[in-house]
Amino acid sequence: MGKHKQILFKNVHEAEQYTLVGYEKRAGYSIIKKVLSMDPVKVIDEVKASGLRGRGGAGFPTGLKWSFVPRNSGKPVYLLNNADESEPGTFKDRVLLEKDPHLCIEGMLIAAWALQSNWSCVYIRGEYGYPYERVNNAVKEAYKKGYLGENIFGSGFTHHMVVHRGAGAYICGEETGLIESLEGKKGQPRLKPPFPAVVGVYGCPTVVNNTETLAALPWIIENGAAAYKAIGTEKSPGTKLISASGHINKPGVYEIELGYPLLQFLEEECGGVWGGKKLKAIIPGGSSVPVLRADELEGVNMDYESLVQAGSLLGSGGFMVMDETTDMVDSVLNLAHFYTHESCGQCTPCREGGHWIQKIFHRINDGHGRAEDLALVESLSSQIAGHTICPFGEALVTPALSFIKKFPEEFTAKILAGSGPLKKTEENPGAELYQIGH
Amino acid sequence: MSEKNGSTEQKKEMVEFLLDGNKVSIPAGTNLIEAAAAAGVAIPHYCYHKDLSIAGNCRMCQVHIKGKPKLEIACNTIVQNGMEVQTQVSNPAVKSAQEATLEFILINHPLDCTVCDQSGHCKLQDYHYDYNAKPSRFIEEKIHKVKAEPLGPNVILDGERCIMCTRCIRFCDEVTGTSELGMINRGDRSVITVNEGKELNNALSGTVVDLCPVGALTHRNWRFNSRIWYTNQKDSICTGCSTGCNVKVAVRDNEVVHVKARYNENVNKEWMCDEGRYSFNNFTPKSRITSARVGSNEVELNKAIESFKPLKGQELLVFISPDLTLEEYWLLKKFLERDVQKFKSVLAHRERKLSDVEKILISPDYASNFRAAQLFGLCGENLEEEYLEALKSLREGSVENILIVGDRGILKQDLDVSIIAGISKCKVSIGLLADANSALCGPIQTIIPERTVLEKAGLMVNRKMRLQFMERLLDCPTTALPVWKIVNMAAAKLGVELVNCTNDRELTLRYIQSDSRLSGLKIGQLKEGGVSLTELHEGKHSRGQTSAGAV
Repeated sequence: MGKHKQILFKNVHEAEQYTLVGYEKRAGYSIIKKVLSMDPVKVIDEVKASGLRGRGGAGFPTGLKWSFVPRNSGKPVYLLNNADESEPGTFKDRVLLEKDPHLCIEGMLIAAWALQSNWSCVYIRGEYGYPYERVNNAVKEAYKKGYLGENIFGSGFTHHMVVHRGAGAYICGEETGLIESLEGKKGQPRLKPPFPAVVGVYGCPTVVNNTETLAALPWIIENGAAAYKAIGTEKSPGTKLISASGHINKPGVYEIELGYPLLQFLEEECGGVWGGKKLKAIIPGGSSVPVLRADELEGVNMDYESLVQAGSLLGSGGFMVMDETTDMVDSVLNLAHFYTHESCGQCTPCREGGHWIQKIFHRINDGHGRAEDLALVESLSSQIAGHTICPFGEALVTPALSFIKKFPEEFTAKILAGSGPLKKTEENPGAELYQIGH
Repeated sequence: MSEKNGSTEQKKEMVEFLLDGNKVSIPAGTNLIEAAAAAGVAIPHYCYHKDLSIAGNCRMCQVHIKGKPKLEIACNTIVQNGMEVQTQVSNPAVKSAQEATLEFILINHPLDCTVCDQSGHCKLQDYHYDYNAKPSRFIEEKIHKVKAEPLGPNVILDGERCIMCTRCIRFCDEVTGTSELGMINRGDRSVITVNEGKELNNALSGTVVDLCPVGALTHRNWRFNSRIWYTNQKDSICTGCSTGCNVKVAVRDNEVVHVKARYNENVNKEWMCDEGRYSFNNFTPKSRITSARVGSNEVELNKAIESFKPLKGQELLVFISPDLTLEEYWLLKKFLERDVQKFKSVLAHRERKLSDVEKILISPDYASNFRAAQLFGLCGENLEEEYLEALKSLREGSVENILIVGDRGILKQDLDVSIIAGISKCKVSIGLLADANSALCGPIQTIIPERTVLEKAGLMVNRKMRLQFMERLLDCPTTALPVWKIVNMAAAKLGVELVNCTNDRELTLRYIQSDSRLSGLKIGQLKEGGVSLTELHEGKHSRGQTSAGAV
């Protein structure tokens, strides 16, 4: 690990880092003190210059996102820390929240100063009970010490922070879904426009940033944009947390410099595929990015551009490794089940199309597939992607399409080995599946 | 409901855009569905309603806008200058996206049109014929949801038919503000339900059935009443109060089997109160007076009309029902003025108290056409006061001659013993009545059968001075005549007839001709939207132009 600059994980292994005492021991809250004397616009410029991109999955430039917030709108500006980390295969924010919560708070304070926001909220995934406790305690500690509340460091700047637990819906990680949920409504994404930067929580300008993005801010301000830009690649500067899981020897969360070769990451950090097995496929960025076959990985680097070139995405950095024994039909069924379960049900294509695709995969996996089913899934995918309110539609069809495209032989084999769709007969009146017109 | 201000509309800035290659000019701020509709292109939609917030969830209204990477939903698009829009008319990708959406909507729909009340007036059926009409590719088992679940006293839900457009939820949130409805569960398990501890029982609850584009919400009263295609549907006006809500009434076998609100942006939008909607059958009495009667003898109509003779020049107190047509008030006034001369007329009126939700739509009266009576001076401004005063004089026995026009000339609640006694004491008492069970039938000497409000066509003026046309909905006993015919006969008996007409429609046309302000107006115009008499008076209304119809 020594070869990667540790920005976010610099102190996560230190004992008591999660407490204020531990955090302050390593110069905690010294950067925000410095920031509070800076011109907020300068802070935004610095972040823009650093090239920091949103770590939640979309990779949108953070400084640019901030600059969309109207100045002097007369309304309060809200800052939301999106800690609703629920993408299958992604568990990086959890480490930050659990082991270095004050880093997240300091990062939020920097963003809050830049945006001149007096209110922020950590929206934390409902299932994250332990991280919630850690963050909640950290916020309490910070309040006690005067790092949160009124007149922080005597600067006259007021900032209040709330920790809010979600109720376990994946879709609340989508920024407008998060906003709805925070307002006490059912977590359903909003129509855009208007965008949250203009009309967000309670109709006020709102910035939603991923936890990892916010946690990078103290280092960027401390060391300057140029230093950050020097790490990683030209277009993907900095470091990224990668959640490595699946059939590897050393699963875990690793901070790597962007642009690091994927296969090297697999071999060195992850310790290679377990049990001496051969590699079959990797999903490099969380469950909603396209899967890559083992033979497609040569020369691919872990950064936004290289992975796009390889036909996938860096996403949220959920690095899922599958060995040669993996049943790809079963795997995609598992993902389809997840997305069907998590669709908010608001708009038609996602609500109806998602479960249709899941049922088709289910049928194929159970040996009741038809020759035309794969073409049907492709057709349905094209009917969903790009036609929904939020990007969930794309997230839903991407694994389905990429699995079929990359591993057609496994699907075909199951279809050929199967008995075809069940028909409703007298002997089998309870058959779930039947063919119209047969 | 606020009366639309005609002048602001004219001031609005216009924007020009290209719709399927054709230049269209439209007021700034119009959304694409409305703009296209004005230009004659119907963009399909389920969740969009012009008087509710934009939900954008059905995805039926997708269109192509030049420069946008993906298809956009028309409902959430405000037309901008120079925008180039392609709808299903000119862009096959748009058409196929709409087909795809419809396919998705239908996969879990039970397709039980054969037993569904909505069948025949269902947007799923309409769009299926327009856009899809293909066998389904869906061979999996459908999702099963709640069936026949009452949401309140008037509305019942079939969860499987629901397409999650959330119009009903938005109506209860945004219009009535009562928030009874919500959606629970996620994804394909989503279902509409009443919120905890509530039931859908607000004053406008039946409106959600009208808003439901499919058969998910139906009227408990009218379930399985009749297939809509066996009914005769007519555009009319509700006569429950003086709001004058526009309605579409389905009649089968001379019975009202379904009432739907009809869009009128100046009156009721597309809303309607439960009281009006479900009381349509009560507007006509169960037991009818079928022949004229003098004393205890049934007589020829002509003979009964003779009873008007002694009224000439005598003092007469006239109680008038508040739900006659404008033409009837017109002729009645003429008759009273010319042939009776010394008369005093009052309109039955009782102010009612309304809850906040009722106030959204309902007027504080049961007097659907009192404005028309006021127009002809048959009553003054203080309706209730005048009416109560007249009742008082009747109670005191100081009334010599009395004429009661319509069953509701004296309201049921006021018919006590002293009133009955007062009527009995009159020298001449004539009643133009329909209800054989009315307490008025006892003391009145001469009874002439008349028609109820559902049995005649004519003009109505609502509380806000909007002139609208009410269609005749039901047949009536052959002996029952409209008030204007009886009055005309009485006039003939006392002198010469007032008007030479054979039916309601002729009379309406005659009236329109006689009123210079209305000249050039067509009945069709009064049926669709109506005209504001205040605006006509101020010369604001442009003739020959009807307001845009409902979608």
